[in-house]
Amino acid sequence: MKGRRATGVIVVLAALAALPLFIRSEYLLGILSVCFIYGIWATSWDFMSGLTGRENFGHALFIGAGAYTAAFLNGKVGFAPWWGLPAGAAMAGGLSLVIGIPTLRLRGPYFALAMLAAATIMQRLTLIFWQYSGGEEGIPGLDPLLESKAAVYYLCLGVFVVITLALLLLAGSHWGLILRSIRGDEAAAQAAGVNVTFHKIAALVVSAFCAGIGGVLYAHYQEAVTPDVFSVALSISIIIMVYVGGIGSLYGPAAGAVLLALLPELLRGLGQYRLWVYSLVLIFILFFAPEGVIAPLWRRVTGGATGGAP
Amino acid sequence: MTPLLEIQGLNKRFAGLVAVNDVSFSLAAGEIAGILGPNGAGKTTLFNLLTGFLASDSGSVRFDGRDLAGEPPHQIVNRGLARTFQLCRPFAGMSVLENVMVGCLAPRVRHRHAPRARARAILEAVGLAHRADAPVEVLPYGDLRRLEIARALATGPRLLLLDEPFAGLGATEIEPISALIRRLHASEGLTILLIEHRLREFMQLVSRVIAMDFGRVIASGTPADIVRHPRVIEAYIGRDDEVSETGEPPAGEPRGAA
Repeated sequence: MKGRRATGVIVVLAALAALPLFIRSEYLLGILSVCFIYGIWATSWDFMSGLTGRENFGHALFIGAGAYTAAFLNGKVGFAPWWGLPAGAAMAGGLSLVIGIPTLRLRGPYFALAMLAAATIMQRLTLIFWQYSGGEEGIPGLDPLLESKAAVYYLCLGVFVVITLALLLLAGSHWGLILRSIRGDEAAAQAAGVNVTFHKIAALVVSAFCAGIGGVLYAHYQEAVTPDVFSVALSISIIIMVYVGGIGSLYGPAAGAVLLALLPELLRGLGQYRLWVYSLVLIFILFFAPEGVIAPLWRRVTGGATGGAP
Repeated sequence: MTPLLEIQGLNKRFAGLVAVNDVSFSLAAGEIAGILGPNGAGKTTLFNLLTGFLASDSGSVRFDGRDLAGEPPHQIVNRGLARTFQLCRPFAGMSVLENVMVGCLAPRVRHRHAPRARARAILEAVGLAHRADAPVEVLPYGDLRRLEIARALATGPRLLLLDEPFAGLGATEIEPISALIRRLHASEGLTILLIEHRLREFMQLVSRVIAMDFGRVIASGTPADIVRHPRVIEAYIGRDDEVSETGEPPAGEPRGAA
């Protein structure tokens, strides 16, 4: 069973690594790079919210924090683009403390609402402080992290795989067990000696840090950043990707995000009916497979009985 | 010898309703005692005060010579005071073994014993070893009761508070759990304080009963003394003390037993 899982992972990774040898279209490689970035966002969302059960309706806050930090340093100050990675991740991690410390001590919907509000406020702030953030236009003219599209593809794939494997490792560790106990029953977790507030905040910081890295990659891939990176629509689409992948499994959301981000491209032949079909597919999946599609399917194929690392 | 647990003048009020009223008593190390009282007498509120789930209005709780005022629940667990809940509260989505492992990860015990091996040993002790890998969702209620106790044991307590460990159990299921509690007390030297609102289960199990009603301690003594105590008889007459034979008191329980 373990062997089949390992084989499955290696086959998928080898196929993704070999793809640029067959795909000559720079456009398509670019689309796939964005799909991997979505994968980072969905997996990092799932690490906090899927494991602890505290839903985050403003993951775009961390994405935007990473993206704007990178864009500001590169586009406004003139730093080399690579500086964005540590700076953007740190900014996202710092913001997660600002939101998490006051709201994750409480039970109830405060955390979810605070995240939603914070992302929306940040989107407004980019308009108010337009001298620094470029307002509606955002910050254009960023340097790409790497020159060739194939190199960017490998960079995004590499970061995506490393983050996903690292988070899977954490989720399978004793720490992951503690986080899942919080989802199971918060009061019972306290009674078992778990400092639930500390662990929820720590998980959020890890989640935000990874989402921030994704935001930096996205800004430099686009070579620009606009206030849309803070949008509610982005936060919600990440949640949908997680649900389609199979919440709490991490690898399911990772794959779900890549496939769902790719779906509108695959449906391009349908022309104006594209979004219509896309929405119908989502509704069908959420209606008929509330557990998600990818994680349950993967378990069946590889013969695993329960969740955890693949 | 100083007592393991010392409660002095403990009070808790909910919007004018006095749930725990000037409660004082102490427990010696190695003792097994029970708190008796009708539904809503303040027993569970008292447990919540002792374990940090609620803050008291006044009074003090000393455990092992240390004042527990203001300590959060997880810290109190790490001082060696663990509890179970009246309603079984397993961690959904996890296996029986994983449920117990969470308790084994408490800082108090984590560094002394490998969590997985320790969790297996505890499951063995409570008679759940054959269920180790089952998801908690498939456990029958009697086994959930054992799991509840196992998870509290996993934190390595010196004092174990059991909130109605027989709630929801049929007559034939009570005796094995009762035997388990006796065994834990005898073999592990655990100090145990349990809540029950039915007298019968107490008689064989505890050496001392503390009877509560309307948030107050109304009597204290051996089980044989308590059944003859006029205040206890009064508290029980005219009440249907078997109302919640099947488990939980109804929602909106009177007199704020949280």
